[in-house]
Amino acid sequence: MQPLTAEGLAAAIRSGERNAVDTVEAAFARIEKVDGSVGAFLELWRDEATERAAGIDSRRDEGLPLGPLAGVPTALKDNMSLAGHELNCGSRILAGYRAPYTAGAVERLVAADAVPVGRVNMDEFAMGSSCENSALATTRNPWNLTMAPGGSSGGSAAAVAASEVPLALGSDTGGSIRQPAAFCGVVGVKPTYGRVSRYGLVAFASSLDQIGPLARNVRDAALALGAIAGPDPRDSTCSEEPVSDFLEPIEDGIEGLKVGTIREVRTSSLEGDAARGFEQALEALARCGAELVEVSVPLVETAVATYYVLANSEASANLARFDGSRYGHRAAGARSLGEMYTDSRSEGFGPEVKRRIILGTFALSSGYYDAYYGRAARIAGALRQQFADAFEQAELLVTPTSPGGAFRLGERVDDPLAMYLSDVFTTPTSLAGIPGISVPCGLDSRGLPLGLQILARPFADGTALRAARAFERETGFECRPEPVQ
Amino acid sequence: MSLGVEEVRRIAELARLRISGREEATFAGQLSDIVDYIDQLREFDDGAASFEETEAASDVADNDLPRPAAAAGPADLDETPLLDQFLDNAPASLDRFLLVPQVKATPGGDE
Repeated sequence: MQPLTAEGLAAAIRSGERNAVDTVEAAFARIEKVDGSVGAFLELWRDEATERAAGIDSRRDEGLPLGPLAGVPTALKDNMSLAGHELNCGSRILAGYRAPYTAGAVERLVAADAVPVGRVNMDEFAMGSSCENSALATTRNPWNLTMAPGGSSGGSAAAVAASEVPLALGSDTGGSIRQPAAFCGVVGVKPTYGRVSRYGLVAFASSLDQIGPLARNVRDAALALGAIAGPDPRDSTCSEEPVSDFLEPIEDGIEGLKVGTIREVRTSSLEGDAARGFEQALEALARCGAELVEVSVPLVETAVATYYVLANSEASANLARFDGSRYGHRAAGARSLGEMYTDSRSEGFGPEVKRRIILGTFALSSGYYDAYYGRAARIAGALRQQFADAFEQAELLVTPTSPGGAFRLGERVDDPLAMYLSDVFTTPTSLAGIPGISVPCGLDSRGLPLGLQILARPFADGTALRAARAFERETGFECRPEPVQ
Repeated sequence: MSLGVEEVRRIAELARLRISGREEATFAGQLSDIVDYIDQLREFDDGAASFEETEAASDVADNDLPRPAAAAGPADLDETPLLDQFLDNAPASLDRFLLVPQVKATPGGDE
């Protein structure tokens, strides 16, 4: 039997057909059963979740209205603050840190009556594409436990794919929601930059970071995005653009809608039978009534290089705050303030975070600034313009989410550049600030999921969701990973 | 361009990181590969485009009204004032201050 959707659970809890307490208990029972092999969760908040669920049940019994996510068990990535709870960002350097306040997106989630049940694994500081850079745990792909779940929101994707929870929040800087969603066969939404508040999200690259939902189907993702999107004066980059109802028009289909493929996204570079998967996805879109056109965005080829300069430059500045003085790990025995900074950071950060800080420091350093940071910023500006031009010719653009399905755990850990190149189709979206959704588009010959990425103009998140829903209806993909049945 | 061990050590120092001897060589190789890859951007940069803001990234100014620093939520910590919550996270504090090693090294230290 397929597990209930977030939408179905919330409706049943609102009507009194189900209790939130039982729903949350069922989620914990499922987590207990399968998380030993999946390894998505870092911590469970059993007592608080049960108490919150009981509060929801009693409000319903008193005849009070409940929110759109009433009683839906939800997992939070380990980089989002929930007041009073530990938050490690997958790193040893934040060991013992307790969030003194709640993130804006999490506040909205809770206001919609979702129930946070625990925090899930991620690559350290969201730097990675396989979850293997976590200093805290190994997360496995529920479709094949020897495979990586993708990253950095690998815990969020794996928890949803294994039906531990119907919904999780992740964060995406260069593909960190979309790529793990594709690897695990779930839906992942990177909203338009500024659609969701970043207040209370540990910063990686502030001009690119964005929180979004991972769910088992498009309607649930739309429901969750509607709940967490909206203005927040505590994040100056959070847009005041009104949030449209994402669910209301979601079944309207895409008959006659112009959907573009990008000429420079070469399917010949795809791994295994991912090219066939993408071709079939295009055929499905055509069956939905989309008019397929080809557009040109020449600078997409530069996106990985541009992204790794800009994101790491910002990271090198953002991560300067982790120095052992105010929170987290402090090295013992330092004889001066400077020594304490260096020792704490050297002990607390893992190798990938160090590599990226060094790369970012290099790109911003005197003598190299214009040749690296300046150049990357100019190219990103030109890329945004090219996307804007492409969206004159097509309402939506589509690409594969990743060059292939999940790769084996351990396969790419010693080759950071190979790992970075798995972001080749997701980084352009991030640099352009536009919304991107990964929706499952079938299985490869190894039986592992592939994802289709749907892109839209800034703040046309709803159009991308509508297309994703039409595609999902057409293809009828079911997320039923055998190893966790 | 390729990054040598010396260069990596110098940048790491700027970033307040210490890289172990064994790691240095690995890092230099990996970072050189990455910087080589990034150098492809040269051929795409005509120097003309500017740092324009995205349409999406409009800056929203706060209305600047006084309010408690932590919004009350269902999971909020008791009644503890916010300062105490921050200090609870500090590796060391004294009264209402963070405690850190002295800025200058003790005599005989190497800094």
